[in-house]
Amino acid sequence: MDFLQLGSYTFSSRLILGTGKFSSSTVMLEAVKASGAQLVTVALRRFNREQLADDLFSPLKALPEITLMPNTSGASTAAEAVRAAHIARELSGSPFIKVEIHPNPQHLMPDPIETYEACRILAKEGFLVMPYIAADPVLAKRLEEVGCASVMPLGSAIGSGQGLATAEMLNIIIRESNIPVIVDAGLRSPSEAALAMEMGCGAVLVNSAVAVSEHPPEMAEAFAEAVAAGRKAFKAGLMPKSSSAIATSPLTAFLGANA
Amino acid sequence: MITIELNGKQQTLPPGAAVTDLLSIIGSDGNTVAIVVNESIIRPDKRSTHLLKDADRVEILVFAGGG
Repeated sequence: MDFLQLGSYTFSSRLILGTGKFSSSTVMLEAVKASGAQLVTVALRRFNREQLADDLFSPLKALPEITLMPNTSGASTAAEAVRAAHIARELSGSPFIKVEIHPNPQHLMPDPIETYEACRILAKEGFLVMPYIAADPVLAKRLEEVGCASVMPLGSAIGSGQGLATAEMLNIIIRESNIPVIVDAGLRSPSEAALAMEMGCGAVLVNSAVAVSEHPPEMAEAFAEAVAAGRKAFKAGLMPKSSSAIATSPLTAFLGANA
Repeated sequence: MITIELNGKQQTLPPGAAVTDLLSIIGSDGNTVAIVVNESIIRPDKRSTHLLKDADRVEILVFAGGG
């Protein structure tokens, strides 16, 4: 079997699903089930007694084979992210933490310095650290060296649907990395997820593309199939590219040929 | 009565109230929340014995949808 290995955890699904922006918890749960995802992200928020439906913990925990990966969204410093990680672990019992530190809500680009520092601390504390980063091969390598379980470079800006705008940098990160590279953010279509997997990504993380589609469960299933197809193609080995045509049929000894 | 800061808002409680009393007041069974008092996480087995004091800063957090 071909498993995604993150720390001591193995997953048969290589699609990680975010739980934000769904129209309701019910639709979100249907999408999670349809996606086959085994790793699901959640965010920490203050309890609001007027919005009890916001609590996703019980329904998600009730799903078999789901491991929660809380994120540190909302943190703008390493210290805030570390604090959020501690609280999230207390609540989830999961060792996974998606380190997400984006101080500017206009572009949501991750802060590399604060992210590095938070990851260094959390990896040392035994978390399975999954940092959301810009597609920066140097930072990715540094995060591998401090013990992150994966790196999660963005394909394009969060929620933008701009796809794999960083493909060239992603190729370098994948080539250099000894830990799974997970494209996180920016994907819009299943074909982009398939392409990311064909490039050699270990997994993809998708949220908006499923959540704001017209039929989230169907879109979740489409992403799952695309991820599986892309992975299978990567494992099978893509043919080399050529700048000129290479015939697939014999061009000699045709009917009536003189030679 | 004592006054604490609960998720950034003022909340009055009877003197000697424990964290579990606060949970009852806000209508939470406590199973799906994390509780932080003055930056320290209060684990479930300590909630009934952890008494709240005037001016304590309490954060009650839950999981919500996020990517």
